[in-house]
Amino acid sequence: MPEQRIDLPQGTLDLLILRTLALEPQHGWGISERVQQVSSDVLCIQQGSLYPALHRLERRGWIKAHWGTSENNRRARYYELTKAGRRQLELETDTWKKMTAAVALVLGTSL
Amino acid sequence: MLHDLLFRIRTLFRRPGIEVELEDELRFHRQQQLEKYLSAGLNPAEAHRRVRLEFGGLDQIKEECRDARGVQLLDTLARDLRYALRVLRKSPGFTIVATVTLALGIGANTAIFSLLYGVLLRPLPYHDPASLIVLHETTPMVGVVSPSYPNYLDWRAQTRAFSNMAVINSVAFNLSGIERPENITGIAVSPNFLSLLGIHPLLGRDFDPSEEKAGAAPVVMLSHTLWQTHFGADRKAIGQTIALDGRSFVIIGVLPPQFRWLETVDVVEPVGVWMNGNTSYRERGERGDSAVIARLASGVGLRQAQTELEGIAARLAQAYPGTNDQFGVTLRPIRDVFVSEIRPAVMVLFAAVTFVLLIACANVASLFLMRGIARTREMSLRIAVGATRGRIVAHLLAESFVLTFLGGFAGLALAVVAIRAAAGFIPEGLLAGANIDLNPTVLLFTAGIATAAAFAFGLGPALHSTKADVQSELKEGGRGTTSGAAASRWRSILVVAEISLALILLVGAGLLMKSLSRLLSVDAGVRTERVLTMQMSLRTAQYRKNPAILNFWDRVLAGVRALPGVQAAALGTGVPLTGDHSRTDITIEGMTPPKPGNYPHPDVHIVTPDYVTALGVRLLRGREVTVMDTEDSPRVAIINERLAQQFFGRADPIGKRFVFSHPSADQAPPWITIVGVVGDTKLYGLANPSRLEVYLPFRQVVSDSMTLIVKSATDAPAMTSAIRSVIASIDKDQPIFGIATMEQLVRFSVSTRRVTFIILGAFSTLALVLSAIGIYGVISYSVAQRSHEIAVRMALGAAPGDVLRIMLGQAARIVGAGVITGAVASFALTRLMSNLLYSVSSSDPLTFAAVTGVLALVAMLACYIPARRTLRVDPMTALRSE
Repeated sequence: MPEQRIDLPQGTLDLLILRTLALEPQHGWGISERVQQVSSDVLCIQQGSLYPALHRLERRGWIKAHWGTSENNRRARYYELTKAGRRQLELETDTWKKMTAAVALVLGTSL
Repeated sequence: MLHDLLFRIRTLFRRPGIEVELEDELRFHRQQQLEKYLSAGLNPAEAHRRVRLEFGGLDQIKEECRDARGVQLLDTLARDLRYALRVLRKSPGFTIVATVTLALGIGANTAIFSLLYGVLLRPLPYHDPASLIVLHETTPMVGVVSPSYPNYLDWRAQTRAFSNMAVINSVAFNLSGIERPENITGIAVSPNFLSLLGIHPLLGRDFDPSEEKAGAAPVVMLSHTLWQTHFGADRKAIGQTIALDGRSFVIIGVLPPQFRWLETVDVVEPVGVWMNGNTSYRERGERGDSAVIARLASGVGLRQAQTELEGIAARLAQAYPGTNDQFGVTLRPIRDVFVSEIRPAVMVLFAAVTFVLLIACANVASLFLMRGIARTREMSLRIAVGATRGRIVAHLLAESFVLTFLGGFAGLALAVVAIRAAAGFIPEGLLAGANIDLNPTVLLFTAGIATAAAFAFGLGPALHSTKADVQSELKEGGRGTTSGAAASRWRSILVVAEISLALILLVGAGLLMKSLSRLLSVDAGVRTERVLTMQMSLRTAQYRKNPAILNFWDRVLAGVRALPGVQAAALGTGVPLTGDHSRTDITIEGMTPPKPGNYPHPDVHIVTPDYVTALGVRLLRGREVTVMDTEDSPRVAIINERLAQQFFGRADPIGKRFVFSHPSADQAPPWITIVGVVGDTKLYGLANPSRLEVYLPFRQVVSDSMTLIVKSATDAPAMTSAIRSVIASIDKDQPIFGIATMEQLVRFSVSTRRVTFIILGAFSTLALVLSAIGIYGVISYSVAQRSHEIAVRMALGAAPGDVLRIMLGQAARIVGAGVITGAVASFALTRLMSNLLYSVSSSDPLTFAAVTGVLALVAMLACYIPARRTLRVDPMTALRSE
């Protein structure tokens, strides 16, 4: 187990899910694995927040779900990005970049 | 947004499937995670433990997922409604009382709104009715008069404010060639009349511009009703002829069924046909029975048009001083002309019915508050186990909505019945041909007030009953003293409001009742018992010459007087209270000639001997018309008291002379000598002031239209068929119409007030009953609540009478507060109905006192019944039950 795990800041979970699904359709477990791997085990998504988030995004129409078969031949619920979701991803990525840049600026001056 | 809603709804309908899917999805995740740990080398027990730990509460995740899917909103709504239904079913007494109360309130509102909509709001069946204006001439002496034809032509030629203008003359015909001859009414119009209104004939053709000139071939258009009743709705009627006044007219068209005019229209003829054998249209000073309708040019307002027309009238007055000096013009939107009579009554009723609904809502709110107290424990428990206040309010509101839904539907049914019943006692003609029905607009209104009502009586109590302090409520074992006391205070305030509103309605009804009784006791100047009246109009070619007309009237009188039971019979051109009279200027010998429009302008009656006797008009001086007043005898007249006083003062008018119209200097005027003075009669309805009147002998001025007046020893209506056969034996094609007893004419002349009074009376009775129920509820609850206190008091030696006084004291405070606020509000509000009142001040102290007394008495009685129960309180049982 890595020592340095960070709890996700408010609002970033949606962005991470959308980004992950932008690569390929994925099921919930896959999403959380992928985020963990890509972030070198720094980011860890709690199941307790992952699934409500997926259902909320589905309701908003940014992702859609269908049942498929996983690599190990299990029935799994796959999510994929919709057009609206892709637009939302661009929007949120943009906002995120602006914000982190701004935060970095502020931190840079103070130190 | 739409996606969101559809998603929620889809979710709602796929509930079971989605639950299974959610379970599957989460299980898949657990299995994957388990495998991951196993392949990482953990022992199975440890792997399982970790998975369980990471997952936390599975049910909680599921719940959050459901929330995220947004199932909740609609799901809870459905659940709340189901629960509300169940709760209401369990307390049928409450549900029935509340539903009936709401049904009465909503039903009465729906019925009155459909009346208001039909009369005041529904668009008139014309193209762009808002730009249609009705024009009349005015004089300083008599006010509104009919425009003369030459003036109409000048208005039309000179106006720029109006894009189109048409004239309408009222006409009547004898329709013969059918089983029983009839008198029908209609209008003679300029050929552009229908196109100006935007109406197309249902069948046949519109009038042709050439039909505006005298000499036009006799053609006529039928109303839809006449076409159905007399031609069996046969399309082949077009081109056939119809016998009007003994002449045959070619039917050129049929009006559409929705056609409506200010008066009853059976047939329409072009003015060109009306002009044949009629010279009055050439005279600028001849103001008959006509109106002008015009359409405002686009972008022109009423005020601008008024200014322009006044300018034209002023120029005409200068150019033709002999006929037009002092004559102005009045412009009124067509809607006003249609409804001016009935608008105040409808508005008063609408205000009254709103009060009834408010009272109904207050009563139901009061019931809810009381239930709220009983359910305090339930609410506290729900809050204690985690229900939010919003959830509970929503849940209680669901009950209100279910109730208004039930009440609303019952109310609609009630409105249907009420509208049908009202059609029975509202006289035809009062509503100006308006159609009263339930239509989409009315239904929308009903839905609107029902929703408003649900919030009005639901929200307050719901918020109130959720304010409870959970801890103390639960601790106190549900006795709920704190919130209970607050709820009682609110209920008292509601009852005060109810009593105030009820008092306003009762005062309104009381004032109307007093007006009506004052009005009915007004001396009409005639004796109405056992007097039958009926009209005849001689219109066929055989009655062109005066001797033929006089011969017919002589034979009618002889025949009718010979009938058994007839005490007196006479003919006259009009009867009091009908409003159907003609007026002419007179010049009294020796008076300084006033300006045109300022001459004495009496109503002129042409009468046979016995007219004064048959109607019971008081003869004050001289004599009435007798058989001695013939074509060859000196011209004489009888005048009324008012004319005598106004123009002769103390002097004896007998022997004084006057002449009709304005005598010219160059020839000796045909003086008429006054031979008698009679009492004033109410010509235009009981509420109208008496006017100047002149009576002329029927042989000296001949009229082809007369009303037969028969005073009989027996019941008047029974005479009708005997009289009918007398007339038929003289001329079988002569119709009789307008058959009515004098008593019916009196009743009809007060019908607007009577109908308003009946409806307002019903509403105020309803208001009285509802507020009595309201205060009854409050006091009986209070008695139940205070039984403990009462028991203690009695145990300490209070006499039953003292206890009763305490309870009645509480009631008296509530009733007193309601009566005072109600009286103040009535004082301000009844002024708005002053034009419905007659010789009663809108703040009539006697009415206020009487009504307040009745209300206070009923309210105190409603309190006394439950308060008396305190007398039966047995201190021992009451205290032991604690």
